[in-house]
Amino acid sequence: MHGLLGLLLLAGALALGAGAAQAHPHVWVTATSEVIYAADGSITGVRHAWTFDDMFSTYALQGIESKTKNVYSHEELAPLAQTNVESLKEFGFFTFAKADGKKEKFQDPVDYFLEYKDSVLTLHFTLPLKTPVKPKELALEVFDPSFFVDFKLGDKDPVRLVGAPAACKVSLQRPNDGTVSAQKLGEQNFLNGDNSNFGAMFANKITVQCP
Amino acid sequence: MSSRATFRQDSLQVFAHRLAICILAVAAVLTLDGIMHVLMAQTPFGGPRPGAEPQVGGIVGWILAKQSEFYREMSATIRATKSEGHAVWTLLAISFAYGIFHAAGPGHGKAVISSYLVANQETARRGIVLSFASALMQSLVAVLIVGIGAWLLNATAKSMCGAEKVIEIASYALIAAFGARLVWTKGGGFIRALQRPQLTPALALATAATHDHAGHGHDHHHHEHSHVHAQAHAHVAHHDHGHDHEDHGHDHAQASDHDHVHDEHCGHSHGPLPSELAGPGGWRRGFGAIFAVGLRPCSGAILVLVFALAQGLFWAGVAATFVMGLGTAITVAAIAVIAVSAKDLARRISGGGEGGGALFMRGVEFAAAGLVLLFGVGLLFGYLAAERVTCF
Repeated sequence: MHGLLGLLLLAGALALGAGAAQAHPHVWVTATSEVIYAADGSITGVRHAWTFDDMFSTYALQGIESKTKNVYSHEELAPLAQTNVESLKEFGFFTFAKADGKKEKFQDPVDYFLEYKDSVLTLHFTLPLKTPVKPKELALEVFDPSFFVDFKLGDKDPVRLVGAPAACKVSLQRPNDGTVSAQKLGEQNFLNGDNSNFGAMFANKITVQCP
Repeated sequence: MSSRATFRQDSLQVFAHRLAICILAVAAVLTLDGIMHVLMAQTPFGGPRPGAEPQVGGIVGWILAKQSEFYREMSATIRATKSEGHAVWTLLAISFAYGIFHAAGPGHGKAVISSYLVANQETARRGIVLSFASALMQSLVAVLIVGIGAWLLNATAKSMCGAEKVIEIASYALIAAFGARLVWTKGGGFIRALQRPQLTPALALATAATHDHAGHGHDHHHHEHSHVHAQAHAHVAHHDHGHDHEDHGHDHAQASDHDHVHDEHCGHSHGPLPSELAGPGGWRRGFGAIFAVGLRPCSGAILVLVFALAQGLFWAGVAATFVMGLGTAITVAAIAVIAVSAKDLARRISGGGEGGGALFMRGVEFAAAGLVLLFGVGLLFGYLAAERVTCF
C-alpha cells in the first residue's frame, strides 16, 4: 500500500513537475547591450537593443497599420514601442544589475524605439540607473526568470562600454557554456516554493571590472 | 422534537468536522507541494546541494530542448509552405511532435485532469475522452481568438493578449472553484469514511433531518438524475466495483427516501459513484473539467496562428493548431490513464470499501481534490508564475 501511495505521489510529482519545468520559451531575443559611462567614469545606465524572433515579431506587428506593406517607420511603431517598455516594467526589464554586490535599480526607460528590418523587430531602449554608480565590479544579467523569453547575447561583440575609463574590461558568461553559477539554481529557489527563478540558469551574465 | 434537536447538533458537528478536515487537507496538500519542490530540485537538476553543477539535462531538460526545437522550426516551415505547398506536411508533423512534448513537459492541464480523475473515481476511458475533449477545446479557443481578433477585427497583439489574459484568469478561477467543490465533496466522503464504523446511522438521519427544507427543489432535480440512472446501471456497478457497492447500497437506501436529497451536496460523488460515472450528472461534471482546463489556449498556438495569418496561410495555422492539440491529447490521456490505473490498483489492494481501505481511498480522493484546488488557486494567484500569459 505504501508503494502505491508512492506511485500516486510520483504521478502527482510528475504533474507538478510541471510547475518547475513549465517554462518553455515562446519568445526569443538576441540582445546587445551598452554600458554607458558619464565623463567622471561613473556608470549612468544600460542601453539595450533586443531583436525578437520572426514569429514573435510578426505577432507583435499584428494589427499595426503601415503606409507601405511590410515597411514600418519608427513613428508607425511608436505605440508598440510604448506598449513594450510599459509592459516590460512589470518584469524589471529582465535586467538585473549589481554594483560591487549591491543591487541597483533602474528608472523608467528613455529613448526607446522599434526598428523593423529583415522581417524582425528590434527594440532599442536605455535604462538609466536610479543613481549613477562607480563600482569596481558591475554585474549585469539579462534573463527572464520564468523563461518565457529566451535571451541570448548577440554573437559578435554583444556588450560594449561607452565612454568607459580605459582600464575597464568586460567579460561574459553565456548560459550554455557550463559556467553559469550553480548557486543561481540552488535549492533555495525551489525550497521557497517559487519556481519563478527557473530561468536564472539561462542567464546571460555580464561583468565589467574597472580596477 | 428533542430528538430532532439532537440531530441538528449532530449535523452541525459533522459540518464542523468537515470544515476542519478541509482545512487540514489544504494544509497537507501545501506541505505535499513543498515536498514536490524539493523532489524537483533533486531530480531533474542533478543534486540539491549548493555548489553542484546545474544540469539542464535529464528528462526535463531534454523535453524543454525538444519543445523549443520544434517550436522554432514552425515559423520557417510556415514560410516554406507559402512557396512549396507540400511543406505543410512537415508543419503538421512538427506541430504533432510539439504537442506531444509540450504536454509531456509542463502544463496544468494534465495535472488538473489527472487529479480530477483520481478524485472522482473516473474510468480510464472517461479520462481519455476528457483529455481529448479538453485539448480540442483548447485548440478551438486559440483559433477563435485569432480568427475573430486578428482576422475579422484586425486587433493588435496587445488587445488579443488582453483577451487572452481575461480568459486565462477565468479559466484559473474555474479550476479553483471546481477544485473547491471537489474538496468539499470529497471532504464529506472522507469524513464519512472516518466516522462510518460508529456513526453512520445517526449521521444519515441527522443530515436528512436538517436539510429537508433547504434547497430541496434544486437538489431534487439532481437526485432524479442520479437515481434513475443508478437503477439503469446497477448491474455495472456490481461488476466493477464490488467493494464500493457496499457504501453504495447504503446510500441507496436513503435515496429511495427523498430526504436523502441533501446528501447530493456532500455524498454526491462518493456514494453513487460507479453508477453516476457514466451518467448524465457525471458527464456534466466532466464537462466542467473540460471547460475549466480547455478554456485557456496555449500561447504557442496563438503565436503560430497569428504568424500563419500574416503569411496568408491561416488554414495552415489552424491545421497545425489542431494537430498540436491532438499531440497534447495523446500525452495527457496517457498520463490520465496512468493516474487512474494507479488508483484502481490501490483500491484493489487496499480492499476498497472496507474499513481502513475505504478510508485510505477516500483520503486519496480527497488529496487529489485538494490538488485540483491547489492548482486553481496557485495559477490564479500567480504562484505558478511561469504559466502566465506574458504580453509585451
